[in-house]
Amino acid sequence: MIAVLALALGVVLGVVLDPSVPVGLQPYLPIAVVAALDAVFGGIRAKLDGIFDDKQFVVSFISNVLVAALIVYLGDQLGVGGQLSTGVVVVLGVRIFGNVAGIRRHLFRA
Amino acid sequence: MLPTVDAGDPVRRGGERRGGFMPDLLTELFQNPLEPGYADAARRRAERAARADHAEPPRRTLSLPRLLTLLVSAGIGFLLVVAYQHVIADEPARTRARDGLIDQINDRRATTDALRRRADQLRDQVTRQRDAALDDRAAARLRDLEATTGLGRVTGDGVVVRIGDAPRPVDAVTGQGSGNDLGRVLDRDLQQIANALWRAGAEAIAINGQRLISTSTIRAAGDAILVDFRPLTGPYEVSAIGPDDMEKRFVSSSTARTFRQLVDAFGMSFEVHKRDDLSLPAASEPQLRYARPLRSPSPSPTTVTPTEGGR
Repeated sequence: MIAVLALALGVVLGVVLDPSVPVGLQPYLPIAVVAALDAVFGGIRAKLDGIFDDKQFVVSFISNVLVAALIVYLGDQLGVGGQLSTGVVVVLGVRIFGNVAGIRRHLFRA
Repeated sequence: MLPTVDAGDPVRRGGERRGGFMPDLLTELFQNPLEPGYADAARRRAERAARADHAEPPRRTLSLPRLLTLLVSAGIGFLLVVAYQHVIADEPARTRARDGLIDQINDRRATTDALRRRADQLRDQVTRQRDAALDDRAAARLRDLEATTGLGRVTGDGVVVRIGDAPRPVDAVTGQGSGNDLGRVLDRDLQQIANALWRAGAEAIAINGQRLISTSTIRAAGDAILVDFRPLTGPYEVSAIGPDDMEKRFVSSSTARTFRQLVDAFGMSFEVHKRDDLSLPAASEPQLRYARPLRSPSPSPTTVTPTEGGR
């Protein structure tokens, strides 16, 4: 699976380059990670369902991260950043759970 | 046109889409966690394959979308590592700051102790020089006064009251100490013990080696008890020098009774012991900020009254 290799390559790159996160972007990092996880699990499930689509995966990842960051940014400006972050995490968390349940059904037939 | 009233119908909700009504957000979320786009794309592909009427050869070349997928995968791995390292890097910074503060506190405390020792030395020196300068009678009188006011070291027989926190109640669920800890020694407790000891006839009292004088304070700041602004740690030892029957009087006082009840109720420790040859340190010099001693010797009683009572 070449995408897994790419993922591993990204991990290696991150370890090797050891980048520092700009202060302005730091609040969005956890949200971006959750959004990325959502895209990853969605992609894995689609792959197992046999309906994986490259374009859909790329677009869903980018839009997830951007929308999540936008919501948090708006929340920060409005003074409800914490609550909106919670909202984003809940919504994405529910989706991750659902997708993992789907993956589990594929893998264990249970 | 009448508004449709069945929008909130629980049976209809979360069911099939019709009439432009979406199932409500959360139901949709729980039922279809997968992006609907995947299904759409699969359908489009199937249609295309059906139109082409022959299975198109599976793409093995690196097309643009595939390349993007790989890029995104790499990006996600990168992101995970960055976030992980960010969190890891944050943690030591926090503990470092805390450790630094603790170090500073200990440093300052050590400095304070050193300065205090130096002040005590200097005070001893002053006392010696003064004793040398004064005649015996005046020096003895001064020593008596100092002992009474708490500015000089004193020794004698007396009582030691030991009081300690109850073991912290442990929350059965979390295993952590639970919030409201009723068995803690409070500043009020020490105040009451000190006052009861004064009442029982004590002539000099020290708490954990901090001599009490007329301007001493026993206060709480957060969890710590401060005596004259010096933090004390439990168990607390209140030593008092006084008459022989002081122990009996203290033990039978209402304060001691209260504390025995507290021992029964909350498991605090409370012991009263008689002890011979107690030695209590001098209190630190009280600073006069507004009052000024008179230059001319004030008319005072010529005889030195023995130090008893008068507090």
